[in-house]
Amino acid sequence: MGLRLALAAGLVMAAAPVWGQSADPLLKPNPADWLTYSGQYNAQRHTALKQITAANVGRLQAKWVYHMAGQKDLEATPIVANGVMYISQYNRIDALDARTGNIIWQYQRQPIATGAQRGTGFWNNKLYVTTSDKHLLALDARNGSVLWDVAVHDGLQLAGQAPLIAHGKLIVSGNQPHGFIQGYDADTGKYLWTWSPIPGPDDPTALASWGGQKPDGSPIWVSGSYDPELNLIYYGTGQPEPQWAGEGRKGDNLYSDSIVALDPDTGKMKWYYQNTPHDTHDYDSLEMPVLVDGMWKGKPRKMVLQANRNGFYYILDRTNGEFLQATQFVKKVDWLKGWDGKGHPIPDPAHDPSVKGTTTCPSTAGATNWPSPTYDPQLKMFYFVAQEGCGINLRDTARNYAGTGYLESPEEGKSWQLFTRALDAFTGKKVWDYEQVTSHHYGPGLMSSAGGVVFSPEEFGQFTALDAKTGKVLWHFNTGDVITASPISYAVNGRQYVAVVSSSNVFSFGLPEGGAK
Amino acid sequence: MRVVFAIAALLLMAGAADAQRRAAVDNGPHNPFANNQAAIEEGRSLYNSTCTGCHGANGAAGEFGPGLAIPGRSYARTTDSQIFDAIQHGIPGTPMPAQQGKLTDDQIWKIAAYVKGLRGTAIDAPSPGNVANGEAIFWGKGQCGSCHMVGGKGSIIGPDLSQLASLRKTNSIIDALTKEQHRVYGPGGAQPHLLTPLPVWPVVRVTTADGKVIRGLLRNEDSFSLQVMGLDQQLHLLDRAKLKSVVYEPKSLMPTDYDKRLSKTEFDDLIAYLTRLGTPPEPASPQVKMPGGPERD
Repeated sequence: MGLRLALAAGLVMAAAPVWGQSADPLLKPNPADWLTYSGQYNAQRHTALKQITAANVGRLQAKWVYHMAGQKDLEATPIVANGVMYISQYNRIDALDARTGNIIWQYQRQPIATGAQRGTGFWNNKLYVTTSDKHLLALDARNGSVLWDVAVHDGLQLAGQAPLIAHGKLIVSGNQPHGFIQGYDADTGKYLWTWSPIPGPDDPTALASWGGQKPDGSPIWVSGSYDPELNLIYYGTGQPEPQWAGEGRKGDNLYSDSIVALDPDTGKMKWYYQNTPHDTHDYDSLEMPVLVDGMWKGKPRKMVLQANRNGFYYILDRTNGEFLQATQFVKKVDWLKGWDGKGHPIPDPAHDPSVKGTTTCPSTAGATNWPSPTYDPQLKMFYFVAQEGCGINLRDTARNYAGTGYLESPEEGKSWQLFTRALDAFTGKKVWDYEQVTSHHYGPGLMSSAGGVVFSPEEFGQFTALDAKTGKVLWHFNTGDVITASPISYAVNGRQYVAVVSSSNVFSFGLPEGGAK
Repeated sequence: MRVVFAIAALLLMAGAADAQRRAAVDNGPHNPFANNQAAIEEGRSLYNSTCTGCHGANGAAGEFGPGLAIPGRSYARTTDSQIFDAIQHGIPGTPMPAQQGKLTDDQIWKIAAYVKGLRGTAIDAPSPGNVANGEAIFWGKGQCGSCHMVGGKGSIIGPDLSQLASLRKTNSIIDALTKEQHRVYGPGGAQPHLLTPLPVWPVVRVTTADGKVIRGLLRNEDSFSLQVMGLDQQLHLLDRAKLKSVVYEPKSLMPTDYDKRLSKTEFDDLIAYLTRLGTPPEPASPQVKMPGGPERD
């Protein structure tokens, strides 16, 4: 009998690797899958699925809920491949039947961790796990087995951003000891390169932009986008240190608060654009750079769009970083004196944080923040979560390296207010607003769809569907807990689903069975 | 193709309630031979010549004394010094004799190290043998890799064994290879949490509406759907309503004649390899809170 089993097993072993993939599926994405943090390399977060439309979304119903035991406040965007959903945390991935929410396998490295981990990535049937002990793992997507386990180069801790796989390179990033991005071979885990926004002696121009102070900060804790044709990845970088005291670091403080374009094979920087030079308000530039091709002022352009925390909506040429346009998108912005005519803003020192407190608009929480925006290529509209409101920036002493905090609003009893906001993508003009009543601090990101619906979860658990053209509410569902993650869409057996993570639960929605197919 | 399988349905999951995880505070001396493999081996020999008469082989309970590593059982003596004390002085009011004068202190410490290892998982006291030969048997004569994966190598049909010795006791590993019905001993405190969707790996044979037969391991199911890892190494996500039949086979795919198909030495070598698959346990690992980007700033 042993022989017979061995024969049977031998046949199994000889079977073709049916899960194998040779080409990069994200070059021509199958809308049934959601294989990367932003759904597509261009980070448009737009699903081409159109079973769920503005006309029928009102009948959307919950299909299943999966509780990720031991977790709370999850921020992960799920990944879906071949009908299986993967939901991640540090040290952990749970694999679910995407039709039913039934768990298929779970990978849990010890110890059990919680925290702002924002997703995994899928490549060649591998999933990637960021660990709490400075390791990076690849799992076999079929059964959760560890395929390789490498220590993060230089012993660094990775931040919670979802990895980006670009040109077969696994791109990860972190905050400590200062911002960095690293590239690994996505198949083998072999370390390839590190890039940091903190300039070294080999970059004297950037180094000189720190007024003699040792450059520091610029954490990188959100994933980026990728243009396979140009073979460039686009990432935002965080604020310079010390955060609130700028007097020791006179100058622009390159490459903090910037959008950078890197070669994923080498980590070499092709260009940068600094949104907020000499930042003293912790604005960062970590909002997702969205890649769009289109006509700008009558000329075809390869653009990168970003609604930035500093209150401006940017359009850059993504081939070379050329500044094309910046449009103010919240009512009040006063951190800058103006622009130098070449797309370089001039910060206003009168709004630097002070011991008695300085009112600045937007507040440190930002006119928007890291939750993902979305772009609808049919309507040519850019949607994002805008936050109206100013803040007060404080420092505890007048000394350099002062610690501090900030106050939510200079006006007593008045909170910030969140809106789902639609812009004409190429002019930056506002088209509509949806007020997220009771949402006063940034919550989840957005997803647009070929069905003409923008899915807009809200901070305290409402999952809302808006008409992409008008912003009218078409449907809503109370998930019962805080939402901080962005929604996704996928299809199994010809049925479209929309899913979102709410605290420790994954919700998946679809049309009623027997309804519109 | 009829094969003899272990009875999956009768697998008894122990798991959960290890009272010994309520680790006592150890104020006494620590075992000088803790984690010393050679000493633990000596402890095993000493145990086998001194203790098995009452406590059974591998601490699995004997005719007169209780098992020393029974999942779910609450042990009054859990620390190094408590186990040492019980062996040295015996337990008053019970048949447990004092070994003082019969065994040296070092010998008692070695037995204590072995007993403590029994209460952990296999990795706490790996079995002796030729590990490299055991690994060769795993991938070769034993055919283990045709169902199981270790370190990303092998097949995805059965459970991944990369952490086997951190999750299972040596007894349980031996039983799985030799007994159709056996207990699956619980984690024993070495790894506090690792859930699999189904604790056992039941075999199903599914016939679809169009007559296609899929045989494999059931990873999960509910009244409406099944998730089956097929022998074709493909995951099958099935709608129950669209199936002609679902047959739950009573026996596991796991062969249980390894003590017969392998020589004694080969078997021991395989166990030596299997009892080293995993990560040696570290001191208590509570939840960690990771810094992300600013969650609320």
